[in-house]
Order: sequence, then structure tokens, then C-alpha cells
Amino acid sequence: MKIITLLKRAPDTEARILINREGTGIQEEGVKFVISTYDEYAVEEGLRLKEKMGGDSKVTVVCVGPEEATEMIRTALAMGADDAVHICDPAIKESEPFITAAVLAKAIKDNGFDIIFCGKQAIDDDMAQVQSILAEMLDIPQVNVATSFEISESGDKAVLRRRIEGGDEKVETQLPVIISCEKGLNEPRYASLPGIMKAKKKEIRTKALADLGMADAQGEIRSKILKWLPIPKGGECKVVEGEDVPTAVKELVRLLREEAKAL
Amino acid sequence: MAIQGIILLVIFVAVLAAFGYIVRLLYRLLRKGVDEDRFGQWAQRVNSVVVFVGAQARVLAQPAGIGHFLIFWGFIFITLGTIEHILGMIFPGFGFEQIFGTKATGALSWLQDVFGILVIGSIIVALFRRFILKPERLKIDDPKARREATLILGLIFVLILLMYGFRGTAILMDPGEVSRAAAPLSHYAARLMSGWGMNLPIANGIFAWIHHLIIFFFLIYIPFSKHIHILGAIPNVFFRNLGPMGTLSRMDFEDESAEKFGISEIQEFTWKQLLDLYACTECGRCQVACPAYLTEKPLSPFRVIHNLRGHLMDERKRLLSAGGDGDASPQIIPETVTEDELWACTTCGACMQECPPFIEHVQKIVDLRRFLVLTESRFPSEMQPVFKNMEVNYNPWALGYASRADWVGDMPVPLAAEKKSFDVLYWVGCAGSFDARGQDVSRAVVGLLQRAGVDFAILGTEEMCCGETARRMGNEYLAQTLIESNIETFKKYEFKMLVTACPHGLNSFRVEYPQFGYEIPVLHHSEFLLDLIRSGKLRADGIEKARGAYHDSCYLGRYNGIASQPRDILRHIPRLGLAEFPRREKRSFCCGAGGGRMWMEETLGTRINEARVEEFLGLGADHIFVACPFCMTMFEDGLKAKEREDIKVLDIAEILLAACKTNTDSP
Ligand SMILES: Cc1cc2nc3c(=O)[nH]c(=O)nc-3n(C[C@H](O)[C@H](O)[C@H](O)COP(=O)(O)OP(=O)(O)OC[C@H]3O[C@@H](n4cnc5c(N)ncnc54)[C@H](O)[C@@H]3O)c2cc1C
Ligand code: SF4
Ligand code: SF4
Repeated sequence: MKIITLLKRAPDTEARILINREGTGIQEEGVKFVISTYDEYAVEEGLRLKEKMGGDSKVTVVCVGPEEATEMIRTALAMGADDAVHICDPAIKESEPFITAAVLAKAIKDNGFDIIFCGKQAIDDDMAQVQSILAEMLDIPQVNVATSFEISESGDKAVLRRRIEGGDEKVETQLPVIISCEKGLNEPRYASLPGIMKAKKKEIRTKALADLGMADAQGEIRSKILKWLPIPKGGECKVVEGEDVPTAVKELVRLLREEAKAL
Repeated sequence: MAIQGIILLVIFVAVLAAFGYIVRLLYRLLRKGVDEDRFGQWAQRVNSVVVFVGAQARVLAQPAGIGHFLIFWGFIFITLGTIEHILGMIFPGFGFEQIFGTKATGALSWLQDVFGILVIGSIIVALFRRFILKPERLKIDDPKARREATLILGLIFVLILLMYGFRGTAILMDPGEVSRAAAPLSHYAARLMSGWGMNLPIANGIFAWIHHLIIFFFLIYIPFSKHIHILGAIPNVFFRNLGPMGTLSRMDFEDESAEKFGISEIQEFTWKQLLDLYACTECGRCQVACPAYLTEKPLSPFRVIHNLRGHLMDERKRLLSAGGDGDASPQIIPETVTEDELWACTTCGACMQECPPFIEHVQKIVDLRRFLVLTESRFPSEMQPVFKNMEVNYNPWALGYASRADWVGDMPVPLAAEKKSFDVLYWVGCAGSFDARGQDVSRAVVGLLQRAGVDFAILGTEEMCCGETARRMGNEYLAQTLIESNIETFKKYEFKMLVTACPHGLNSFRVEYPQFGYEIPVLHHSEFLLDLIRSGKLRADGIEKARGAYHDSCYLGRYNGIASQPRDILRHIPRLGLAEFPRREKRSFCCGAGGGRMWMEETLGTRINEARVEEFLGLGADHIFVACPFCMTMFEDGLKAKEREDIKVLDIAEILLAACKTNTDSP
């Protein structure tokens, strides 16, 4: 079984994000990057499926990203993925979901696939579009926000659960399929040291757009980010203290009237 | 030579041969272990044996040790006498007197006689303890261990009676055999027996024969029982770790094709670690010092050692057979040592501090943890985010590394990157950077350094976790990554010393970074601040009346022997009364946070920090003084759980700054 897991390099959730002066992106300096959290669930689920299927099943990591994304790819390889395709081209630096999906679709088709796992959304721009566009481009079903996954005995069907408002939805799908993973689907493993050592020797096929036969990605842009804006600073919170409730209430009313001018 | 002598000679030689064979077997088994350099510093090694074997210094640290002291020395004198007696039976007329003279032989005889009765007394006390008092420290859930201990005590008891039996009957047969002065008790025994109407030569022969046969039985039986320590303890004391306590071995990651890291099979331990197993006396002192054991966790250092020895002995045939290495080797985890045991350890070192034959428990526990973490990636789930946080943000909290120096606020704290060259590099540490109370302490330390006009700087966001926690959690790979990065950073700047308020960082820099080629003087803030007080750069004018007890952190008091300095600082503060924990200094009791336990759930048994808080509450003091950010957290949590938040936990830097602030003219 050819298992594909998508992986995006994204700023660590704890990173202090500052928007650059031009408003075209973030200041990368001093920002730590990691595997986009939901993609870790995708890698883990891919590995579990491979372990279950056995035989010549293989997990291939596919990533569109800058050179630095190699570090995250190696982490996925250390977890146990077999090889990787890294599409790295300055032309797709300012990517948007449609381009990313188009590039991924081409790379995945070239590689061959039976099932694709990805994150339910990237933790940086939170768009949650790539999987859907990709599904359309590959003309396969998609199941989003999966919280459980089970492959059938024959390996051509899967049963999944998706968390929805107030309950779970149970879905059955044919393979090939693209599945976007939600927290709770699994506990991603911590790479073992032999895994880390082996990962150093695993193959990462780095490709430029030309290698995929896609000369001009820019032509496909469907949307453009106009400007990135910092979140306006929230007002300060004031706590009215004191044991004596009536006095505290009086003070609160005064503050609301005089300072907040809300009354 | 009489027929009896010939038979005894044959048995004696056969037993000695068998004993020699067994000792050789034990030696060969040791050699199956990995190499470890414990050679050199010979004078100190001999001295260790004199102090800790001869004078039984550690054994005597507890009253029950007096019994061991008496049995130990009694055993030596009586064995010498037994050898003389056996040789006398084989070669009639032989006696030490001909070789060593009357005086020395008389003295030996007297010692034998007197120690005989002392040994009997000790054994009665020992059996009384074992069966009536049943102290916690002798508790072990292996019935075989109990049977063995009882059998051996019982046999020694019988041996002594038999010794008086054959010595007494010999006196009855020939009153000139030995003088009353040289054998007062044997003479007394002779008087007792004189009325029994025994056939003296036959009785004498029977007593002597049974006595010697028991001795022979011992020689064969002992190496396979807990009394193997008679063979193992002395070399173990001789080869003990003479360096800083509990320094972990440095792992080598050069071999990229390695499939395995850490230890999972018994022969992967070093020969010295295997010798440790021979040396255990099963005294249980480690057990009753162990914070995990005392709070009903599945770990007892005593049982770990006991079970590892049992496992080694079970595996000896396989290990020693010619091609034995090829067989599937049984795994230590979980049959011999369980994961719950391994993760319960705080690496506090109390076990190693107590252990009379200087067994090193912590390295073994960490070796096994290393296997679980590095090779198997198997550990309590709460540890994974901790590792990840350390990898990504260089601290165990899930907080961005860029905010590492936010605690500074608007205090003017110079950065190393700006200053380049300075006297003191103040190592803030992860807790000092990210934990709210830790930050208070950092600000207090900076306040004091500024007051005293110290030329210092901090690394700010260049500082990374020192790696100590990762190392003790078994993640040596991550630890080494952090250590190497920090060393790179240190090398960029010029400074005379490192000062830190974190004992874990202190221990790391002082004794572990040198393994990676980086050495610099490292002072704990208590040492540095005390120097500032003594040189008049800081003056504590006092505080409102308070009474507090200082808690010794494991990595400060025990590992690094820093116990007087923090106390001296507190003594410099007028109107501050000091109480003392019953367990303190080198023998202090862990707060529960070491060895990565700070980051794990404490779901088994009761809570270590609460046990320590209870110890404090008995002192009737109103302040707990600490010198470690993790102890701070553990105490504050413990006090909350006990609903005693009226008690304040302060770092020594905080109380010192408060005391200095009362004088406005600096210092
Ligand atoms: C359940 C659901 C509810 C929604 N509700 C709303 C709503 O209420 N309002 C609204 O406005 N919108 C909503 N949306 C739409 C959504 O918020 C976004 O517009 C859109 O889905 C974001 O897509 P994305 O490009 O960020 O996906 P991405 O965040 O880019 O990524 C999704 C996954 O694709 C893969 N991937 C992405 N980039 C790469 C790469 N470079 N290399 C390899 N793999 C990659 C990764 O596996 C990643 O986890 C919803 C979407 C869903 C699924
Ligand atoms: S180091 Fe401390 S916690 Fe660990 S076994 Fe020894 S005494 Fe117990
Ligand atoms: S390990 Fe040391 S302290 Fe513990 S039982 Fe054995 S000899 Fe005693």
C-alpha cells in the first residue's frame, strides 16, 4: 500500500509572531519552526497503517516548503516514514492553498498513492483548504477532521469517525481517499534514537517545479493576501478588589462611568 | 597423620577447590560486563577500605550497625582460629603459637573468645529485629531472601556455640591447652560442660567436625546467597566512585548504525555495576531512605539490586557457556525491573548516600531509562511534550524561547551579547526564566548582584536548558544536544565564573559539562552571596522576627556538599530563627522533583512533597527556605495540598534581599 502523508513546516505555536514591516509575512528571525501539529497525527496514522498492512507498504512524506523544511521531514523519517518528496522552489514561496494543492497533486500522482493523510488545518494560516482542493484535483473522496480510522480487512475501504457538533459521525469510504486528521486520532510517537540515525540515510527526493513539469506556478494563483496586520492590542483588565461588596460595587460603577465611559 | 586428619584434609582441599572454582566463576561473570575504568588513585582506594570496611564507618551510621561491626570482626578473628584448628586436626601439633609466638596467639585466642559471645548477642538482637520488630528497612517481598538471612544467622549462632564446645572440651581434656586469661569464656564453657559426663574426646571431635563442616558449607553456599557480599563488598568499596557522586556516564553516539542505546540485558552493565550486585548486604538502608519507597511507590533501590543479582545468577550459565552470547538474551525490563519502578526514581541519591558498600543505584536506573527512551521510545506520555519543548524551545515548559528573558522586565540586566567580557555569568536556568516564583528569585538574585556591584551578565535568549533533566530522564541524546549548544555559547564570551540559583544546573556545569570538555568555576548563589556578605559587599540588617527551616536540595547538600553556606547566609540575618529538619544536609529528604519527576504525574502511592511538608510542620516554624526552584514549587504545592498557605516558601536570595533592603545606604 502506498501511503502518503503531507507535512507542512509551520512556526511553533509558542513562537512570538511578529509581522514584518511590509505586512507581507512574518519576521522569521527568532521563530522556531516545527511540523504543523495536525500533520504529526497524519504521519503517525500513516505509520500505524503501514505497520498493520505490513508487506511492501510504504509511507512517503510529501512536503512543499523551503529548504529548512528538511529538518521537519527528517523528523517524520525518524518517526518511521520510509522516504520523502520535498518540493522546494523559490517560485512557490508565497504559496496559497490552490498552488500548494496543485503542486502536491502532481507530486503525489508521480509517486502513486492509495491513501493520503494530512492535517485538518495548518497551524500557521489555519486555512484548511489544501486537503479539499487536493481531493478535487486527484478526484478522490475526502474525509475531514477524522478522530478515528480503521482500514477494512481487504484494505480497500476504511471506516472513520469525525467529531461534529454534539457527537461523532461514522463514515465509510473507498480507497483511495484523503483524510485530514484531528487531535485525538492518535498519540504521535517520539522518534527513537535508532530511528533518528536511520533517518539520516533515508532518501529525500528534492524537486523543483520544473521537475514536476510545472513551469509556472504563479499563473495559477487564485487568491492573494493583501496585507498581514497585527492583532490590535486588547484593553487592560482591571480587577476591583476588596472584601466589602457594596463598596466594591460602588467603585465598579464609578470605573464604568468615569474611566470606561460605558454608563 | 591420623585417619581423621586425612579425611578432613581431603574435604578441606575439595572445598577449597570448589570455593576457588566458584570465585573464578564469579570473576568470569564480572568479566562479561563492559569495561569501566576504576583504576588509579590507589592510596585513596586502600584508605576507603580501611575506613569503610575496617572501621565500618557507614555501617555504624545507624545503631543496628554495631551488630554488624561485631559480627564482622568476630568473623575475622574466629575464622583465623578456625583455620588454626583445622590445620591442627590435619597436622597434629600444629599451632599458630609456633609461628607467631605466645603473645600474639594468646591475644587472638582472647579476641575469638570475647567476640564469640558478642556475636551471639548481636545475632539475638538481629533475629529479634527481624522477627519481632520487623523494621521497614528489612522488608523485602522475596521469601527466599528472608529464609537465607535467617538460615545464615542461625548457622552462625550454632557455629559459635560449637566453637565454645570444642574449645571448652579441649580445656577439659588438657587444662594447660589455653590459659584462662586467653580464653575466659571457653574456660567458663568448660566448667559448664564438666558436669555433663560426656566422653570428652568424642564430644570434642563431634563439635569440631560439625563446626568445620558448617564452615565448609558456608564456603560453597555463601557465593549464591546474600552473603556473597562477604566476597563482593570489600572489592566494591575498593573500586568505589571516588569522583563526584552520581555523575552519569557519557554516551557515545558516534556509531550511526547502532540499533540499540542504553541497557536492557544484564551483561551490558559494566563489570563494576555487576560487582555492585555482589556487594549488596541486603541491609535495606537504601530502602528506608528512598523517597519513592517511603511514599508507597513500586520502587525500592534494595529490591532493584536484589532482583538484578538474582537475574545475573539465573543467567550465569548462559553467559558463561562458550557461545552463550548468541542466545536470545532475556530483557531486564519488565521481568526483573519494571517501568513503574524506573520512572519512580527522583535520582535523589539518598540510596547511594546510605549504602555501606557504596553501590551506585542511580546510574543503573538511568541506564535502563536510556534504553526505554532512546531505543524503545517508551515512557510516561507526559514526558513527550517535555522532550519536545526542550527540543523546540529549549525549556521544559511549553513556552517560547524568545520569552526567556522576559522576567527581567525593566530591570537593567546586561546581556552577555552586549558586554562580551564580564566577571560573572549569571545562569538563570529554565525555572528562573519561566516559572513565576523562579522569576521572583531571579529578580532577587539580580537585585543582590547589583547592590554588591558585581560585574555580571545573563545570556538572555541564548541560554538553553542545561540538559540535566533530559539526561536524568534517560534522553541522553537530547541532553547532549543542549549541552553542546550551551558550551558553544559559553565559549563566545569571556567570564571568570558561572553563578546559578539552580542546583541542577550547578551539578550539571560543575561535574557533567567537563565530560564534554568545558570547565569553568561554578558557584551556587548561596556560595557566591555568602562571599559577598563576608567581604562586606552585602549587609543584612534584619527582618521582622521569623523562624524558618532550610531544606537541603539533593543536588546541593548531598551531591555537592553545599549545606553550610545557605545556613550561614540565614544566620547573617538578624532576628531570623533557624529550625532544622530531622533529615538534612547529606541525608536530606527529596522534595520529589528530581530526575524529571517534576514533569511526571505522581499517581502511584502518596506524594513525596507532602511527606516532606509534614516533616516541616512538626518543626513549628513559619518559613521554609529553599535554594532550588524545583524545591520551591514542590513545597508550595505541598503546602497548598495541606492547606497551610500561611507558611511562606522563600529562596535564600529573596530573604537576603529583603533583609538588605532595610538599609537604604548600600550596601
Ligand atoms: C470543518 C471545517 C469548518 C470550516 N468552517 C469555516 C468557517 O466557519 N468559516 C470560514 O470562513 N471558513 C471555514 N472553513 C474553511 C477554513 O477555515 C479555511 O478557509 C480553509 O479550510 C483553510 O485551508 P488551508 O490552506 O489553511 O489548509 P492548510 O492549513 O494549508 O493545510 C491543511 C493540510 O494540508 C497539508 N498542507 C498544507 N500545506 C502544505 C504544504 N506546503 N506541504 C505539504 N502539505 C501541506 C497539511 O497536511 C495541512 O495540515 C472550514 C473548514 C473546515 C474543514
Ligand atoms: S535515587 Fe532516590 S528515589 Fe531513586 S532509588 Fe535512590 S533513594 Fe530512591
Ligand atoms: S543496596 Fe546498599 S543500602 Fe541497599 S540493601 Fe544493598 S547494601 Fe544495603
